[in-house]
Amino acid sequence: MTSDRNGRRVVITGVGVIAPNGVGTDDFWKATREGATALGPITREGCEKLPLRIAGQVHGFDAEGAIEGRYLVQTDRFTHYAMAAADLALADAGLGDGPEDPFAVGVVTAAGSGGGEFGQRELQNLWGQGPHFVGPYQSIAWFYAASTGQISIRGGFKGPCAVVASDEAGGLDALAHAVRTIRRGTDRVVVGAAEAPLAPYSMVCQLGYRELSLAADPDRAYLPFSADARGFVPAEGGAMFVAEAEESARGRGARIRAVLAGHAATFTGASRWAESRHGLAHAIRGALEEAHCAPDEIDVVFADALGVPEADRAEALAIADALGEHAARVPVTAPKAGTGRAYCGAPLIDAAAAVLAMEQGLVPPTPNVTDVAHDIDLVTGYARTAELRTALVLSRGLMGSNAALVLRRP
Amino acid sequence: MDHHLTHEELAALIKSRAGITVDPAAIGHPEATFDEFGVDSLGLLGIVGELENRYGTQIAPGAEMSKTPQQFLDAVNASVKTGA
Repeated sequence: MTSDRNGRRVVITGVGVIAPNGVGTDDFWKATREGATALGPITREGCEKLPLRIAGQVHGFDAEGAIEGRYLVQTDRFTHYAMAAADLALADAGLGDGPEDPFAVGVVTAAGSGGGEFGQRELQNLWGQGPHFVGPYQSIAWFYAASTGQISIRGGFKGPCAVVASDEAGGLDALAHAVRTIRRGTDRVVVGAAEAPLAPYSMVCQLGYRELSLAADPDRAYLPFSADARGFVPAEGGAMFVAEAEESARGRGARIRAVLAGHAATFTGASRWAESRHGLAHAIRGALEEAHCAPDEIDVVFADALGVPEADRAEALAIADALGEHAARVPVTAPKAGTGRAYCGAPLIDAAAAVLAMEQGLVPPTPNVTDVAHDIDLVTGYARTAELRTALVLSRGLMGSNAALVLRRP
Repeated sequence: MDHHLTHEELAALIKSRAGITVDPAAIGHPEATFDEFGVDSLGLLGIVGELENRYGTQIAPGAEMSKTPQQFLDAVNASVKTGA
């Protein structure tokens, strides 16, 4: 992404995280760095009797304090998180006062499940009381594009807007789309994803995933790369960023936090985890090529870490296929073992952690995992100090997408 | 049904259905517009639905397109009267 034919380098100037282990980037990083786990019983109304017991639930998020009433009534929880994370990212980028030129700012989000909680409430009104009891905001709140639309309206951003409706890997694809948008001439894009799949209807939809962990012990439910891996734990929340043309960022004296250096995506089919080895390796090679990055320049890998033995093996092999001998030396981490997988939000939370890790020179650990059953240098226990210039973030989706992102320190 | 929608009731409906806090006295100002309160037609549509359920009668189509609270109150109160 740094030097294709359009030349424009794209950087990250703002980071905003709403995650199970922290509302706000500082709290999130503190918990991530320490390897704290935020997995626990799902406490939302109507979820008590479902077989899915453990998830990464966001605690301590004050929606009324963060979002104006007029936007709260129109939107689902997934959009509340996205709007709040966008505010954090914009404030971090020094753009909290609104755009000088509305057409110079676009919005891109990714979404894997939309507004299931809002939709369920309105559909229950429909079948329980009748069509007259369905509110007009049902028409927009459940929709995958709702967060993009509401962030755009609320912030007054009139540049190009888009939504990537996809599986987990779509979070990284949204960043790539933001880069392309900036290459076409837009100065800045508010980009990211947040999800809220912890409501009865949304959870029932997930019960069909054979990769889902139904374990009841929060410390044992999600153990990627270990011999006890038994599936993944879902989560809510996500991260938003301000992506910006480098010359625009430098022109206004903004702090550049990272460079969006390379991305590539492939597709290998839903739940075909053995095949994901080649798809993911191909994505890594593509991202490295776009970043003009040699394999041994990668200083840390944020793994997809599905927690399914076959998928973990495929990922370890993909890293080895793409990075060669360097794969044996590069530290690999999966902080999401402590937060769960927030679908499209998951790789963006990882991207936020990667930005912070490079700034702090610290590889955060993989919570709860003590034994490593694959041939990778997985960071467990405590954070590891390291000089980090380049980070690789990996993501695979349950529907078969694979994506890789290369981030560089500015 | 004999009911007359008041400024106070409309303010409460705007709060509950459109999420916007409006002073009932401001609604009563003859120059007031929904635009200045930030209430759009989807917000008014939700209020119309709530009133129809509450009064058990149809409100004439177009009330949600009202530009001012006075227009809206007139449309709603006329419908409630004829529908009774």
